[in-house]
Amino acid sequence: MALADDIARVLFTEAQIQDRIRAMAAQISRDYAATVPLLVSVLKGALYFMADLSRAITIPITIDFMAITSYGDETASTGAVRLIKDLDEKITGRHVLLVEDIIDTGLTADYLLRTLRARDPASLNICTLLDKAARRIVDTLPIQYRGFEVPDEFVVGYGLDHRQLYRNLPFIGVLKPEVITLNR
Amino acid sequence: MHHLRDVGILDANIRPPLGAASPDDKTGCGPPITARDEEGRTHSVADRKDQGDAATTRPRFAHESEAEFARLLDFYGIRWEYEPRSFPLQRDNQGRVVESFNPDFYLPEIDLYIELTTLKQSLVTKKNRKLRRLRELYPNIRVKIFYGRDYRSLLLKYGLAKAAARTPSV
Repeated sequence: MALADDIARVLFTEAQIQDRIRAMAAQISRDYAATVPLLVSVLKGALYFMADLSRAITIPITIDFMAITSYGDETASTGAVRLIKDLDEKITGRHVLLVEDIIDTGLTADYLLRTLRARDPASLNICTLLDKAARRIVDTLPIQYRGFEVPDEFVVGYGLDHRQLYRNLPFIGVLKPEVITLNR
Repeated sequence: MHHLRDVGILDANIRPPLGAASPDDKTGCGPPITARDEEGRTHSVADRKDQGDAATTRPRFAHESEAEFARLLDFYGIRWEYEPRSFPLQRDNQGRVVESFNPDFYLPEIDLYIELTTLKQSLVTKKNRKLRRLRELYPNIRVKIFYGRDYRSLLLKYGLAKAAARTPSV
């Protein structure tokens, strides 16, 4: 069975995603023209977005990656979020742009911001491809760039997963409800 | 732009001074009832050992969904208080409170109340009416309500299918 068979409908095609990313990259290139910003991405969901966004930006940048445990992870047994891959670069005095695949509750982004702010960057903003504002709990996030607003449905593809699957779909779609509850 | 109501979460988006009577209170309901001590501090969960699990200082949650939500907030380091305030909605002729609204959680760092409504549809209608009344009386209080469907999808996001299955999808 093809991976795409589990998709109820496509929300954003590959072409739509790339168009939007080019527009976001152009804006970022203008806004950070006088600096060399550091793009920080969170593994694994933002992998493809980071790759395409960073290549569409026309000014000098550096990139780095973080990884944290997620609530519900089998590995998250301590009861608290844990940094499992820290940045390689120091960010003190740097202009940092946190690159996210999706922000919904805002809990993960809020944790990352607190972690990064403690290191005294010159500035710290968020660039997210998808914004699921309907489910926001932490609504004070500095989201400077957003690609698309999405409804409160289970979306996968272009880095977003369900049980680690569907990340490699080139588009973003809504997963069929009957697939979501399957334990596989 | 999707409006919050369209996707199931009602954002009362109200923000009055905490612990003070609303200047818009025209109904005589008076100020919210807060669990404050003589020094004016809001009681936190840690102060409620007698109400819950003394070993962990957690309150006795009314529903497992609330306990799960508290664990989620704990995981990401978000401070919370459980049912710290009661907002009177209606009083009788003697001034006694006959109807009130007690949001499940208060997140002090973002000044937001959260109500989890994992009830049957018939009870959700009543809850919605109370929420509308709350918005009228306390227009500056920020409240978000998570309906069963919203909460269920939140649990599914974290791969908690079993917990989600226990939550009505209204």
